[in-house]
Amino acid sequence: MSRKIYISVFLLVVSAIILSACASEPVVETVVVTQEVVVTEQVEVIVTQEVVVTEEVEVIVEATPVAGRCAPMSLDEVETIKIGATLPQSAPGSVVGGLAMQTAFNIAVDEINSGGGILGKDVDVIFYDTASLPERGTAAMEYLITQECVAAVVGEYHSSAGVAMKEVSKKYHIPTVFAETWNDTITGVGYEEVFRIAPASSIVAAVDANYLEALGLEYVVIVTENSDYGIPAAEATTEQLAAKGIESDTFSADIGTQDFAPVIARIQAGETPEAVLVLLTGETSYNFEQQAAEAGLMPTAETICIANQVAINSEEFWTNVPDGNYCSFRKVGLVPSLANDVTLAFEEKYRERFDRFPESYALEAYDSLMLMANAIETAGSLDPDEIIAALEATDITLAQGRYHFPYGTQNPVPADQPDWMWHQWPDVAVLFLQYFEEGQSADDAAVVWPPQYQTHDTLLIPFGESP
Amino acid sequence: MVDITGQYMLNLLLNGLLIGVIYALMALGLTLIFSVLGIVSFAHGEFYMIGGYVVYFVLQRFTNLHPYFAVLIAGLVTFVIGFIAERLLLQPLAKGEIERPAEYAILITFGLAFFLQFLMIAIVGPFPKKAARFFDLPEISTDILVTTATTLRIFEVPLSGNRLIAAVTAAILISATIFFMAKTWLGRGLQAVSQDRQAAAVVGINPLKMNTLAFSLGTMLAGMSGAVLVAVFSWVPWVGVPASGKSFIVIVLGGMGSMPGAVLGGLILGVVESLGAGLIPDPGRALAYKDAIGLLIFALVLLIKPTGLFGRDL
Repeated sequence: MSRKIYISVFLLVVSAIILSACASEPVVETVVVTQEVVVTEQVEVIVTQEVVVTEEVEVIVEATPVAGRCAPMSLDEVETIKIGATLPQSAPGSVVGGLAMQTAFNIAVDEINSGGGILGKDVDVIFYDTASLPERGTAAMEYLITQECVAAVVGEYHSSAGVAMKEVSKKYHIPTVFAETWNDTITGVGYEEVFRIAPASSIVAAVDANYLEALGLEYVVIVTENSDYGIPAAEATTEQLAAKGIESDTFSADIGTQDFAPVIARIQAGETPEAVLVLLTGETSYNFEQQAAEAGLMPTAETICIANQVAINSEEFWTNVPDGNYCSFRKVGLVPSLANDVTLAFEEKYRERFDRFPESYALEAYDSLMLMANAIETAGSLDPDEIIAALEATDITLAQGRYHFPYGTQNPVPADQPDWMWHQWPDVAVLFLQYFEEGQSADDAAVVWPPQYQTHDTLLIPFGESP
Repeated sequence: MVDITGQYMLNLLLNGLLIGVIYALMALGLTLIFSVLGIVSFAHGEFYMIGGYVVYFVLQRFTNLHPYFAVLIAGLVTFVIGFIAERLLLQPLAKGEIERPAEYAILITFGLAFFLQFLMIAIVGPFPKKAARFFDLPEISTDILVTTATTLRIFEVPLSGNRLIAAVTAAILISATIFFMAKTWLGRGLQAVSQDRQAAAVVGINPLKMNTLAFSLGTMLAGMSGAVLVAVFSWVPWVGVPASGKSFIVIVLGGMGSMPGAVLGGLILGVVESLGAGLIPDPGRALAYKDAIGLLIFALVLLIKPTGLFGRDL
């Protein structure tokens, strides 16, 4: 018994020792095990995740900065440099304007390529017809950027297309120089990709208002087109006229309208306007001007005719508006007397196709491509950021004069300047000319505004009189 | 806001009637084609466009030619083009050789329209043209009527001389067409085929030849309406597109296939558009609503009286 008791006591003591040991050991064991597991797992997980994230970012940056855009970033990766050019080549766009612009682009690309291209690479211009329609403008940009892989886009005549196009320029981060789109918002939205060498509507409206004020007028009728060019242009002109105390009424018509009899009757039934300012374009403007002349609305001794700028195509104007003598018209862009060497060289080639001094939209088309080529050469790359930086630093004399963009990313538009001054060429010349003989060439028309360019020392040759 | 005076209303009414006569001439050809061939020609406006160009270039080349000779030449040219187009493209339809005739008629005339439009762009370019005034108005000065070379003023209401001459010419052509249809054997033959092809064939009228004649005459009328308007409007290769639209509205309003309906429909459309654009309170948008007024009429007629004013019962 006693032996059993001893054995039992011994086992109890041993158990007690073991249990007491166990009672203290778990703390030690737990710490050790926990530390080993936690440390091992944390190290493995963190390292693995960091490596994956880093690799993904690197792949995206090197391949395409914006999804969908397929233009390479480096000149080494291309045999030719593709530049998109949009223009109207079918109705309801101004096909006449589109044809002039296409001719100008072709002259520019011939000059660039015959001069060795851009850093040894030939330029390939891809044309797309926007027909003045917003949806075609969007389609043009999508096609040029995602299918043709152009590095940049130039051109466009109509604001309706341009307003839509600028959004796609932004979406794909593609440098774009708009040639002949006047809508203020095109540069007013402040997209870093978008530049303009045409006047903003507000620039032209200010010149119009200054001229009409100088004539001493008090009531003016504006006839405009229902488009992204016409409506904002009429609004800007109305605002500028009102600021000068000149009353105005605006009548709008769709592009392509032929019959203006009801609106002419309406104008004639009201107060006789001292001037009618035509903001319709193309053949639509000719239809209105001739019908207004036939109805005895303008030009008359009482009412000055201010025809649309397309009147500068004198042969076309006299064919379509044979009763339009004494009409004034706006001329945007360079006058022949201010032509420089680049202008004269371009004019010579342009006259081989059209025997006349190049219109503003032809000069702008030529210059827009030259400007973009110069920027790519300066950048030495197809990287849009570098091209945009080169465009912002532009200081070059082309067919319309010296180009520079005073406001951009390095020098934001100050509060006292309008938003549309962003990436806007500010030195666009806007003049008024006036025919005073039937069948007269635009080259012989009198320059009546601004005073420093007047050729006949008068603001207006009165109806029926000779200067 | 314009003062609504009697003189203003007369101005709108007269201008509407003048353009309405021209709409009527445009639509007359389309309704003739529909009544005999049973198809709507979507190329109608392109024949109108070609007619204008023919007059422009003929008068450019032969400066001493009387403008009405140029109009007749335009009619002849568009008749011949219509004749060829019908023989080549539409005869298979009339002979029952086409599996899906309704779709074929739409597609083939659409295709012809695009072909002619772009062919003219290639030939004459996109530059707007305009024929010189056909005649100067004689100088008259009375209490009621005062005219200059370009403008006629009746009760002080100014009307374009060009437009007046075009409308008078169109009225003469409409009268001649109605006379042809009512008083000549060919005209009666066309009417017979339009009423019942089989019965017409029984009495010795060849429906296939009448198809060719109807299409050629229809294109000729379109061409001549363009011919009289090329001195009124600036002319471009796509000038026929809106003209086509107006013609469709007119024939739906007057009744598909009805010649008196086309004349009345044209006059109504012209007057309603003119009054609408002249009386809509918002002057800024008034002209923009002009085409909408025509389309509103189009929709209302289809809803209320789908057969039009003079159309046959469906």
